[in-house]
This record gives sequence, structure tokens and C-alpha cells, in this order.
Amino acid sequence: MTLPTSRRRAGELSRRSFGVLAAASVLAACTRGPQTASPNAPLRVLAINHVWTQAISTYLPELEERIGRRVSLRMLTADQLTSSFNVKLNASATDIDVMTVRPLQDQLMFARNGWIADLTDRVEGDAGYRWTDFQEAPRERSVVGGAAVSVPVVTERPALYYRRDLLEDFGGAPGTLDEMLDIALELERRSEGFFGYVGRGQRNGAVSQWSSFLYSFGGDFTHDGRSGIGTPEAVAAYEYYGRLLHEAGPPGVTNMSLEQAMPIFAQGKAAMYVDADAIYSNFLDETISTVADTVGFAPFPAGPAGSVPHNIPSWSLAINEFSLLRDDAWEFLRWASSPEMVARLQAEGIPGARQSVWDDAATLASFPAELAETMRINAANGIGHDRPDVMQVGRARDIVGRPLVSGILGEDVAAVAADADAEFNDFLVRDNRQREF
Amino acid sequence: MTTTTARAAVGAPGRRAPSGEKPLVTFEQANRRLKWALLAPALGFVGLMIVFPLVFTINLSLTDAFGAVNAGNSYLGLQNFADALTDTRRFWPAVGRTVTFTLGAVALETVLGLALAMLMRKAFRGMEIVRTILMVPLLATPVAIGILWMLILDPTNGIANHLLGFVGIPPQEFLGSVAQSLPTLMLIDVWQWTPMMTVLLLAGLTTLPEEPEEAARVDGANAWQRFVHVILPMLRTTILTALVLRGVDALKTFDLIYATKGPGGGSDFEAETLNVYAYGLTFDYQEYGLASAVLVLFTLFIVAIVVVLRRRTERSAS
Amino acid sequence: MRASTTFGVLRAVLITIVCAVIALPIVWMIAAAFKTNVQVTDPTVGLAFTPTWDNFRGVLADGALVQSLGNSLLIGVVSTALSIVIAVPAAWAVGRFRMRRTGSIVLVARIIPAISLLVPWYYMFAQLGLVGSHLVLILSHMFVSVPLILWIMIGFFEGLPVELEDAARTDGLSAFGAFLRIALPLAAPGTASAAVLAFIFSWNNFIFALILADERTMTMPVLLFNFMSYASTDWGGLMAAATLMTVPVLLAAVFGQRYLVAGLTAGATKG
Repeated sequence: MTLPTSRRRAGELSRRSFGVLAAASVLAACTRGPQTASPNAPLRVLAINHVWTQAISTYLPELEERIGRRVSLRMLTADQLTSSFNVKLNASATDIDVMTVRPLQDQLMFARNGWIADLTDRVEGDAGYRWTDFQEAPRERSVVGGAAVSVPVVTERPALYYRRDLLEDFGGAPGTLDEMLDIALELERRSEGFFGYVGRGQRNGAVSQWSSFLYSFGGDFTHDGRSGIGTPEAVAAYEYYGRLLHEAGPPGVTNMSLEQAMPIFAQGKAAMYVDADAIYSNFLDETISTVADTVGFAPFPAGPAGSVPHNIPSWSLAINEFSLLRDDAWEFLRWASSPEMVARLQAEGIPGARQSVWDDAATLASFPAELAETMRINAANGIGHDRPDVMQVGRARDIVGRPLVSGILGEDVAAVAADADAEFNDFLVRDNRQREF
Repeated sequence: MTTTTARAAVGAPGRRAPSGEKPLVTFEQANRRLKWALLAPALGFVGLMIVFPLVFTINLSLTDAFGAVNAGNSYLGLQNFADALTDTRRFWPAVGRTVTFTLGAVALETVLGLALAMLMRKAFRGMEIVRTILMVPLLATPVAIGILWMLILDPTNGIANHLLGFVGIPPQEFLGSVAQSLPTLMLIDVWQWTPMMTVLLLAGLTTLPEEPEEAARVDGANAWQRFVHVILPMLRTTILTALVLRGVDALKTFDLIYATKGPGGGSDFEAETLNVYAYGLTFDYQEYGLASAVLVLFTLFIVAIVVVLRRRTERSAS
Repeated sequence: MRASTTFGVLRAVLITIVCAVIALPIVWMIAAAFKTNVQVTDPTVGLAFTPTWDNFRGVLADGALVQSLGNSLLIGVVSTALSIVIAVPAAWAVGRFRMRRTGSIVLVARIIPAISLLVPWYYMFAQLGLVGSHLVLILSHMFVSVPLILWIMIGFFEGLPVELEDAARTDGLSAFGAFLRIALPLAAPGTASAAVLAFIFSWNNFIFALILADERTMTMPVLLFNFMSYASTDWGGLMAAATLMTVPVLLAAVFGQRYLVAGLTAGATKG
């Protein structure tokens, strides 16, 4: 029953090494080698749940016919999208072909990680595509280190939504930020559930909307690579926005992002609301809005440094570096951001990034006249970023958002801003080092 | 050879070797092989699913991994741990919130659970219905519970403020307020998990012997004295076990906070516990090195608590 | 006598209050599922309203949601079944041969925060080409179920009298045979409750699907967030989906309450 010692040992050794061999070969078989996509594989688009995506999805059949391949479009919320990308692309997943990215939020990081494909040759080599037709600011934001890595499809500026009926006595929409604050304080009747102003108070979403206030007070997030949030202008902007929400805003506003703030105005509970102009259609939809007849649109009011809103590409299309269907993915990008499609979508109320489309009066006809004028003015005055221009936008946003929240809570803004300023400077040193790639 | 036969003869009534032949294997050998064979799949599965991730995480915690997980990293030694332990802006407040949330919620759940268990001790009509109702919150999906309570506690549209208005209390912000968020979350947790404590403690109560209580009553002790001096000491082991079970889960609470406050724990990080902080570091900041260090510290923290509590449990059981 | 009846009344009142506090939010959720969105966001609308099936119709017409329901079901059943096969024999081995220390190694799995596993798991499974598959979710759910079932069943098996198995062995059954023919059937109630509990915790699991699932394999808890869309929150649909998600829980509570309690407490009281 027991083998002679020497033979047993040999037998055991060979058994053990066989096991190792077996495991190694299994692993080797399982790890991926070069792959090609099957002809039946759909073109997979992982996109943000946004009016743009909803609109483009209705036109998919025409692209499917052109490329002879089914398009599988999946919509996720912004948080889910980000974590999906992080997890999948960290593992070089091949099951995404086209992605919607935020040029100002994720793009720099994605490019650094090597996750999005270089599109320079494609966008510049295609004459019919007219890359230079894209407005300069969004186009510049699509380029990282000299390479175009995305194409902008939705642009955004802040619009001042206001109640025409209530502001009539004040001469219509406020032209300056001081006026806006005064009107808001006048009109607020908190005890009755009516608020002079509603806006985003949740730190993440608030920072981007607040940027217009920051610029109009003469400040900016960074100056020459150093923190700008400790300057008197920045502190004034923090205090202004904080006071606006603290004294004229709804309760629980620090928990409100777009999804919570918008219904408050739509249900007629606020007199004024500054947020992205892309959401205007919600206020005209009678099934969810009681202010369809009374909503007005105005450009961003002027602060001490004038009216300086943000005019940014909010969403762009990019191609996954690990996609196996790069050519078809480019077909999708080319089709979805072509002059014809952008004109079509803009005529349906989705503001794009092509100058030719903005110049065409017919596409603006779908927007309410007041809104079209608002967008034009904002675009003329606008700055091309709405958050710190860094690699680690998430952490930067949390740092610069702290004084904002303390203002909304009625705390000492100057002290918090000073501390955040120091923290931001430390952060910028580290972040600048990361950007050298 | 002789020993084998002898062992077989002594130890195995069942394994009777046919006369003259040596048994192939002894009873104890068979048992040993069997028990390891039966335990191996479970051990192997759990081991495989833990060992690699643990090693991976510990490895990451020693690097400056950032952005992409498999991008080139350089080793930093214990720098990440030093950064975390000296971070008074995010790390230590997160520790504080984790401790507050856990201690507060679990203490309340234990006290209320014990009270409820004492009430339900003696059988009564409708007991089955009560136990059915009791099971529902602890079996329901935490994410759904979180969203439900967001609706109930909505500052403007929720039924809670409406009801409070009837008794003259002004509308509260609950989850919308920075100051009230963590206490509100604790109360929601209490609502959901007190039934669990009740079930566990009730089971312990029903297995207690009756004589000590009888003896105490005969000696003239009133209900409260009997509870404190007779029942509680006998219940110690059960209480400690329940504390370990509930405590570990409470420390790791994630679903509820994510559903109600979103990633980041709220505007002023008011609900950012260690688990939520680690999630944010991993998926929002992509600072994998620091996130891994925080997770290692967090795990050690939990292990320490479990070890301490289990030692007390064993001591009280003896 | 009077003292005990007032105590009895007091006890009844207190227990009723507790039941109301526990049940009312659930009732509120179910009621909201039958309201229109306007009614849901109007706190003055209590429990007196005309119910509508629209929310459920909308939810069940949503292909993604029905798919996620199917995913939750598939992953729950398969992970529970596999976990039972792995964990029950192991629990018997621990219980019968008194291998407490070895058994507690598996319980370590309960302590680790899930996030510390997610990135390495993702990496591991991506190398094997398994990400976004049902398999990866099944495996991750098993990671939770196996320790849970072990913990419950160890208690059960320790409580079984050894004499029955020894008698069977005297009759010629092997040790494994004794397990199969004697111990396993005796522990059937425990196995049933462990299985139901494991299924429910798999059904409720959120964080694994949040990260490891793709659009085809997403489970219901994650899909709940889809209702919080870009523009407005469809509270009616949200509550309808939440109600659908809670149906198995309610069924388990109503029909299996006794077994579930036994399962939860078996592991605990045997410590």
C-alpha cells in the first residue's frame, strides 16, 4: 500500500508538477490574445441618460443600415457611467465601443490612462466632416496633448429661468446679480413654501453652476497654476451664492442637485432658477410643469466683472481604445456629430457645438425666442470651463466646493475659503506633476 | 502492520475487515480524509476569493497607484498609511462618523430589541402575525428602504413633516440637512435592524432556565431586579453574539448611505463613513493606493473589534 | 390579578405600536406604488385615493427592468444552490468533528469590506474574460452565501444527536453515508431556512452588481437608480419597482417566518 520511498517521491513530484502545468495552461488559455469581433457583434454604445441620447436613439436605424451592424445603446446615470467606465476600462474591456464622456471631468484622466483612442487623423482627414466647423472653445477642449480624443455633441451655458408673472413688477429679469439677490429676498415666502431662488446646493453639482458666479465676480479657480479660490473675488462669489440659497432658497438645499432643484421651479415654487439651458424643455412640458406659460429665459446676470457665464461642451463622444470595432465606432461618431445630424438635433432643441448650425436661423426656431437670444448672448460672453482645469477633477471639485457649502449653511466663508485655498494649492502641486504624461 | 490491525479493531465497529485481511484504511484515517474532503470546497472557494484580493489590495496600498489600476506604479512603502493617519480633513472625521453611527445605532437596536424581546417572551394571541411583521424590514432590500425613507422624509413633499405638523413641530430637513443627516440615517438603521436584534435576543431568552427567576421571585425581587440581576447575566453570551453580528454589519453600512446621500456622503461629507470614503477614493478620485491603505486600516479596525468581542463572549460562556 | 391584566393590556398596546411603526412605512411604499406621481409628491394624499395600475404597467413594460428581475432571480437561485452544495457538507464536517477553528477561517469572509474585493476581483475576472457575465455575479454572491450558510448550519449540526449517526455506522454505513442518510434529512428545516436567507441576501445585494454587472446582467437593486433619471424622479415607478422587489421578502416572511427565525438564531445561539 505504501510505495517504496524513492518511487513514491518521484510519483508525488510528477503529480505536483503536473498540477502546476495544468493550472498554468488553463490560465494561459484564458488570458486574452489578439481578438477580432464576430460579424454579429453589435456596436456597443455606453451613454449618459440625457436628452441628447434619447434623441439620437430614435435615429439609430439609419446608422444600423449604413454600417450593416446592430447598435446596442445603453443609458446610465452619470455616477453609474463613471464607475462603469472605471471598472471596465481598468480591465481593458472590449465590450464598449463608443462612450459619452465629459470633456471637462473625465477626459484628461481617460487620456492619461490611455483609454480613449486618438481621433486626430479621422477628424482632420475627413473633408465632409468639417472639423473646423466646431466652435473654437469646445474644439480646443477636445484636444489633449495635441491629439483630438473626443468630439463634442452637447454644449451648455447657464440660463436664468424666471417667472415672468412674478417679476413683472420688478421690470422683468434682473440684469445684475445684485438685483437678482434683492428680488429673491423680496419674493421669498418660506413659510408658505415659496422660494425666491432655487439652485443646486449639493456640492458636486453646485460647483459647476457656481462657476459663472465666480467668473462674474472677477475670479477663477486657478491663476497660473496656483489656487484662485482664496482671492477676495472668489470669497465674494462664495458669500453671494451662499447668501442667495441660505436666505431665499428651499430647505434641504444642500442635498439638491439638478434632479431635485428642477422640479421645484417646474412646480411653481420658486421665482428664479439658474441652471443648464439644456433642460429648458422640462419647463414647457405640461405633464410635469405648472409654469409652462409663465417661464421666461434670461442671460446670466452681470456681476462686478460683468456677465461672464460658462460656455462648455458638456458631453462628447469618444472611442474606447480597446474596442474591436474602431472603424464602425468612428462611423457612429461621424454620423452622430455630422453637420446634418447636429442641425437636426438642434432643431429639436438640443444645443450642439457646430458654428454652422448656430448660424442657421432655422435650427434656432425650435427654441423659444427668448431662450435662443439668451443662448446667443451667453455663448458670446462665455468662458470655456466650468470647473477646475485639472486631472483629478473629483478631488478638486470637493476642495473648492467646501466654502460654497459653508456659505449655504451660513457659516464663516472667509475662514473656510482660506483653509480650502491652502488645501487646493497642495493639491495643485501634486496634480501638476501627474499631468506630465 | 500489527499496529494498523490493532487500531482498526479498537476504533471501528463498522469497519470490520474480512478475516485475515488488513483493512485498507482506519476509521480515523477515513474520518480525517472525509472531513477535509467535505470542508475543502468551502475553504478553497473562500480562500481563492479572499487571498488574491487581499494580497492585491495590500500590494496596492504600498504603491502610488492612481488613475489606471495596471498602469506602472512605484512603491511608496508605508507613505499611504502615513497620509491617511495624518489626514484630519477626511480620514479621521470618517472614522468618527463610523464609530458614532455604529455605536449609536447598535446601542439603540440592542436596547429596543431587548425591550421588545422581553415583551414578546410569553406567548400571546397573534404572536405569529407579529413575528411576520417583524421579519419584513430586516429582509427588505436596504437600497429600497433608503429610497422609501427619502420619500417619507422629503422636506417639502414627505409625509413625515406633514405628520409632524399635526403636533406642532416645524418641518425638518432630515436627510436634506447637514446636521440631521447622520442621526436620521441612524434612526432608519434602527427601524430596519431592531427586529433582527429582537429575533436573536428572543431566541436566547426562550432558552433560559426558569428556576433562577422563580427563585428570585420567591425571594421577593421585583420585575426590574429580576431583569437586571438574573436575566441579563444569563443572557450575556447571546447579547455579545448579537452585538458582534450586528456590529460588523453596521460598521460596513454602505447601501443605505449610498442610496440616500449618494457617493461622497453628502455636501459637507456629513454621512461619509469609512466605507463610503473608501468607495469615493476608489471610484471617484481613482486614488487606488490611498484607497487600499484606508481599506486595510478599516479591515484591521473591524478585526480588532471582533476579536475583542469574541474573547469576551468566550469568557462569559465559560 | 389586576396588576397582571393592566400589564397585559400595556403589553398589547406597546406591541401594537411597535408593529405599526414597523409596518406603516412598508404600507406607505405599497400605497405609493398605486398612486400617480402628482399624488405621491403631495403629502396631503394619505391612504384614501383611487389606485392605478399604471406604475406597475410602466415598470413591467420596461424591458430593462424585467431583465433585471430575471437576472436577480437567476443569480439568486444558482448562487444559493451552489452555496448549499459547498457549505452544508462543510458545516457538517465542522460540527461533527469539532473543527471550530478551521470553520472560523471561512467566517473571516464576513468581516472584509466588499470594496476591498471589488477592484482585485474585477482584475482577476477580467483576465479570465468573465466580467459582465452572470458567472461573476454568481461567484461574488456565493462569497456572501457560503459563510452565511456555514454559520447557520454549523449550529444546526452541532445540535443534532450523534447517537443516530453512530447507530447507522454500526449498521455498516460509511461516515459519509451517515451524513447523507441521517444527518442531512434531519437538518432539512435548517437547510431550507439557510437557503431562503441566502437567496434573500443575494436578492438584496447591491454593491457587487453596482460594479461588476454590465447592462445585460444588472440586478434589480441597481436598476432602482435608473428611475432617478436626468430630469425628474418617477416616484410612482420607483415605488412600484421597490414593491416588486419586496414581494419575495413578503412571501418569505409570511410563509416561512418560523423557519427563518430558526435559521437566524441557530447560528447565533450556538455562537
